[in-house]
Amino acid sequence: MMARLFFSQLWAVLWKDIRYELRSKQTWIGMGMFALLVLVIFNFTFDLHASTVTSIAPGALWVAFIFASLLGLGRTVAAEREQGMLDRLLLTPVDRKAIYLAKLLGNLLFIGVVEIIALPVFAILFNLPIWQGTTLLALIPIVLLGALGIAAVGTLFSVMAATTQAKELLLPILVFPLVVPVVISAVRATTLLLVPSVNEPPWVGLLIAFDVIFLSVSTLLFQYIVEE
Amino acid sequence: MQTYLIIAYIVAWLAICLYLAVLAMRLRGVRTELAAVEELVREYQQEKED
Amino acid sequence: MALANQLPDAKGQPVQRRQSAQGQSRWPLVSLILGGLTAITLSLSLWMIFFYTPVDALQGVTQRIFYFHVPTAWVGMLSFIILAVCGIIYLFKADERLDWLARAAAEVGVVFLTITLILGSLWGKPIWGAWWVWDARLTATLILWFMYVGYIMLRSYMGPGSEGARAGAVIGIIGAIDVPIIYLSVNWWRGQHPAAQLNPKGDLPPQAVITLLVALVAITLLYAFMMVQAYQLQRLQALAQQLRASVE
Repeated sequence: MMARLFFSQLWAVLWKDIRYELRSKQTWIGMGMFALLVLVIFNFTFDLHASTVTSIAPGALWVAFIFASLLGLGRTVAAEREQGMLDRLLLTPVDRKAIYLAKLLGNLLFIGVVEIIALPVFAILFNLPIWQGTTLLALIPIVLLGALGIAAVGTLFSVMAATTQAKELLLPILVFPLVVPVVISAVRATTLLLVPSVNEPPWVGLLIAFDVIFLSVSTLLFQYIVEE
Repeated sequence: MQTYLIIAYIVAWLAICLYLAVLAMRLRGVRTELAAVEELVREYQQEKED
Repeated sequence: MALANQLPDAKGQPVQRRQSAQGQSRWPLVSLILGGLTAITLSLSLWMIFFYTPVDALQGVTQRIFYFHVPTAWVGMLSFIILAVCGIIYLFKADERLDWLARAAAEVGVVFLTITLILGSLWGKPIWGAWWVWDARLTATLILWFMYVGYIMLRSYMGPGSEGARAGAVIGIIGAIDVPIIYLSVNWWRGQHPAAQLNPKGDLPPQAVITLLVALVAITLLYAFMMVQAYQLQRLQALAQQLRASVE
């Protein structure tokens, strides 16, 4: 009974966010364009040859994803706060954990869609051999797990930073240091897919572990930052 | 070799002393502010009582 | 009196003033004793560092940076633990004093951690031949430094009030969980590479151990002294703000 109520609340908030985001398309398109532009800039900053591309490309991909996701996270919550939507939502007797998880899933969906669209373009631009066999199938879960880690911390902190004057500045300053473990394991896991090597720790497992830690801590702490 | 040691200790002591000085200055500033505010509160109370 | 009701924690005006007067009479004594002890131990430790310990056979005089580097690093980390513990307790029991302590810890901690990073660089250059190495310990320390800076920035943007205090508590808790994870993950990441050796010393001679211990005590006392001052600053600032808010 409690669980059903929880999930119906979660779904209601999530559905509201999805409809809202579908109506305003600027953020989706902006995030995707931003990710692509970062990849293009990377192409110029590192002179990419066939021999170096597999070692540089995962890093370039993740830098693009992290910057784009933080940009998107900042935008969505800021828009909500400006219109007082979050405050009104908090007035309802909805479980705070459900609100957090709904916001997180919304952001994850958002980031995930942008990343999955950017991924093939990235592979084409960098001439990456991800089309053969199961590489692409293995890459998508890694990308989504990385996005989950960033979104778990990012959602919490974007709500926190949204009340301040300098939210665009504050959000990356707070989130970048915290997501370092997620970034390391995601980049390593991606690199290992492209260039298999032995004696590496199980990066995908570590990525899952970091996601679980960040997700549970953020879910527990969310209620304290929105409390009035 | 020795220059690094000398620079290190100069930098460390400079930083500590600088921070202590800044702290002392801020403390003095806030003490005067507090005195001023207390004066303000007293005036305000007097006004209310009158 | 209307004034008493207007104060956030419903403390009467006389109570407030008595508290601040009491604070002004009690704390200088503590500060004085702490300051005196700090001055004595610090001069003792300086004498020991430069005249008592033997010169390191491998690293020469540069190794003497070690006796200052380690204590400042310890204090910088202790400060974050204080910050996180204050945060945890604050979420259960919203006491202003915990928040003042947390803010003071952030401020003093970032000063000591900055010194640690600079000293480490100045030690690393002659010994490793590089100012910086992306080793687990260094990376985790640098990230910790960024967390302090993020904390201070967030608090200054959010201003006084319980909302900022809770946000700060959340950062402290997540940061305290995150720093060990960062340390481990960088260790795994760098595990396969022949990283620069951080501790090429092996066994320290007994004089060096004693000197290090004295320096640890001295810097910890200095830290306590600074914490008392920084806490006082936070407390007085908050009191001034509350009083001002009560008349405006």
